[in-house]
Amino acid sequence: MEREVIVTGVGGQGIQLLAKTLALAATREGRHAMLSADYGGEMRGGPSKASVVIGDAPLRALPVLPSAWSAIVAHHRFSEGVLERVRPGGPVIANVPLVDPAALRADLVVHPVDAAALAKEAGAPQAVGFVLLGAYVAITGLVPQESLVAAMEELLPPYRRQHAPANARALAAGASLTTAVAHGS
Amino acid sequence: MTTIDTSRPPEGPAKLAADFKPNLLLGEHSLCPGCGEPVALRLLLEVLQELDIVQRTIGVVGHGCYGSFVRIMDVDVLQCLHGRAPSCATGIKRVRPDVAVFTMQGDGDMANEGLQEVLHAAARGEKITCVLLNNGVFGDTGGQLTATTVLGQRTKTSLSGRDADEHGYPIPVADLVAGLRGAAYVARGGVGTAGGVAQTKRILRRAFETQLSGAGFGLVEILTMCPTGWFVPAGEGPDYLGESMEKVYPLGELISP
Amino acid sequence: MGLELLEGSTAIARSAIAAGCGFFAGYPMSPFTGLLESMSRELPAAGGVCLNAESEIEGVNMTLGAAAAGARAATGSCGQGIALMQEAIAEAALNETPFVVFNMARNQQDYFQATRGGGWGDYRTITLAPKDVPEAVEHTQLLFHLADKHRAPVMLYGDPLLAQTRVGVSIEPRDFGSLPPKDWVLDGTGGGTGHSRQVWTWAMGKATDPGPGPDRHWRSIAAKFDAIAAAEARHEQAYVEGAETVVVSFGSAAKFVEHVVDELRAEGHRIGWFRPVTLWPFPGAALTAATRGARQVLVFELNAGQMLDDVRIHAADRDAVRFIGGVSISESGLAYGELMDAPVIRTRILEGVA
Repeated sequence: MEREVIVTGVGGQGIQLLAKTLALAATREGRHAMLSADYGGEMRGGPSKASVVIGDAPLRALPVLPSAWSAIVAHHRFSEGVLERVRPGGPVIANVPLVDPAALRADLVVHPVDAAALAKEAGAPQAVGFVLLGAYVAITGLVPQESLVAAMEELLPPYRRQHAPANARALAAGASLTTAVAHGS
Repeated sequence: MTTIDTSRPPEGPAKLAADFKPNLLLGEHSLCPGCGEPVALRLLLEVLQELDIVQRTIGVVGHGCYGSFVRIMDVDVLQCLHGRAPSCATGIKRVRPDVAVFTMQGDGDMANEGLQEVLHAAARGEKITCVLLNNGVFGDTGGQLTATTVLGQRTKTSLSGRDADEHGYPIPVADLVAGLRGAAYVARGGVGTAGGVAQTKRILRRAFETQLSGAGFGLVEILTMCPTGWFVPAGEGPDYLGESMEKVYPLGELISP
Repeated sequence: MGLELLEGSTAIARSAIAAGCGFFAGYPMSPFTGLLESMSRELPAAGGVCLNAESEIEGVNMTLGAAAAGARAATGSCGQGIALMQEAIAEAALNETPFVVFNMARNQQDYFQATRGGGWGDYRTITLAPKDVPEAVEHTQLLFHLADKHRAPVMLYGDPLLAQTRVGVSIEPRDFGSLPPKDWVLDGTGGGTGHSRQVWTWAMGKATDPGPGPDRHWRSIAAKFDAIAAAEARHEQAYVEGAETVVVSFGSAAKFVEHVVDELRAEGHRIGWFRPVTLWPFPGAALTAATRGARQVLVFELNAGQMLDDVRIHAADRDAVRFIGGVSISESGLAYGELMDAPVIRTRILEGVA
């Protein structure tokens, strides 16, 4: 069984980092993972999209997913093409208020998360992506939370190690929120 | 340099230079009478033997009249693409650092087609020895203008003589290379006179010694005669060299360790 | 067997190192750059040499030199950079110097460049086109083996999806069998023996030890490539037996075609696929057999029709061949456009079937 998630937002690097973290966490758990990225030439402000596929056998998934089980939408811009590929009933983490859950397809299971507020509260204002990732993993159970933290630390280059505690708090903040969220749009 | 004691008689009879032929020369060359390139080849082979490195030497030869030397030098050799010898030599030396690696290229090869190759190899300080046979003309293709043709020189593509306005100025390759920090030995010799031949052999030897010491890149530019390309009778080649190219490209060591 | 999540460029680099690659030289050009950077990071630690050459031409000639001196050597580039390297690739084919060229192409528009050559003389270039990262890992090692087996430069035809997609892979050294001894290598020891060695496209040999000369040598090279053509063609195919439609594609596109064909078969279409794994030698005989009886042979490639020529030459019924591909490039110019997408390919195939 292969599970796909498409992550979409605006660049910087956060979208790519969160997708990489998820894929690495799955790999470290001994599962098969694939990560493909799609972004333009701009350093900031441009479309940033990534797909992660996780499974228990060598993956058949294509690097450009014709459809996906789930999505993480960090920003409404550049998101239309992604949302139409999510299969009905699929979980979608929507970063409110940048994304309006009411504007999403009715057959999607939308989980609104005010990731910016949570990140700020956790003392990690820049780690919005990790809040969304923590929430996604708590809802889907795709990988254990601890493996996300370990993957996040592994991916940090030496000159960014000082951000590890803040990132961990952001992941935890996203994970804890979901216990209180109701489903539906 | 040893000083000869002239108060004493010589210890043996003089030898004709022409009688001694290095056994690394496998046969006759087929270049024009009066050509300076075979002289340069012979000096190079003598140096390899004197330094006793013949059994750990690889040569990379470019394209020109001297290209045919790959048939008559008893040295492991790669005949490479026009201009690319310093790159091939880099690859060889990097995987066989204990082997002495040299290139042999004409001015058309090194200064035209391959100028960036030699500059980059020098800047990188590759521990190779590049030998430039500079006769200021594309001899093998019939005698056309190159980047080192001197002003006033007639060639097939500058029949009225090289003119600065139309053809620009010649490039002093040794001087260009000498400006790069990776260059550990840069010198210019000429084979138009007996003294020049002796000096050229010395600078070739010093260039190889530089390579063997690991100090960095070496370039030996050797001015050679090309009476055919210069529209000059064969016997007048050496004097012509002295009056034309040697005046533009001064002989001597530019950089030494 | 532990899996590592690696982007294709890194996986290829590690696979090359596992194959014993000791020298790599290249010039940055997207999407080849990742491979150069991976080699730059990892090859020295493995005892090899990686140079960031100042130009593509210098890079390929450094690689040629290292290979002539006996190292397993490689270079790479894409598109315009490969165009610059053509002279040296031909030179190596004609002076029999083995090395691997990692052509991380930007798209599928360089099929002609890879298979028809653009160098000089009578030579061909063994070219493998993997469909995904795991296959690229295997092909990388196979290419070093084929280069040494046939004493020739060989090519991997990659693309941005291969270079940049990250997949969990495990890289083990593979053994493809025995190889002839490398007794022709320039190691410097021949000097003064009367039997010093020479690597030269004209193969004239030395005055005391003449070689075959350009005429005999180039005939033998041509014969060598004829023999390679007969022995090294590779392909994959599925569901072609009794198929009404066979879709032919290569590289990443073929993986998408496989996915769409599975979908269409589940809907009742009698459709199969054929994938050349070697672009040269093109698996012509296999294609003829696979297309026998097919009403449509649909060629899908992201270019204006290049592999199409080879399909037309070999398809059992030339009139059944239809082109359903096209040029498709992203806004940035550096990657594929809309056509590399399963729903679009599905539409094209259905149009082709109708």
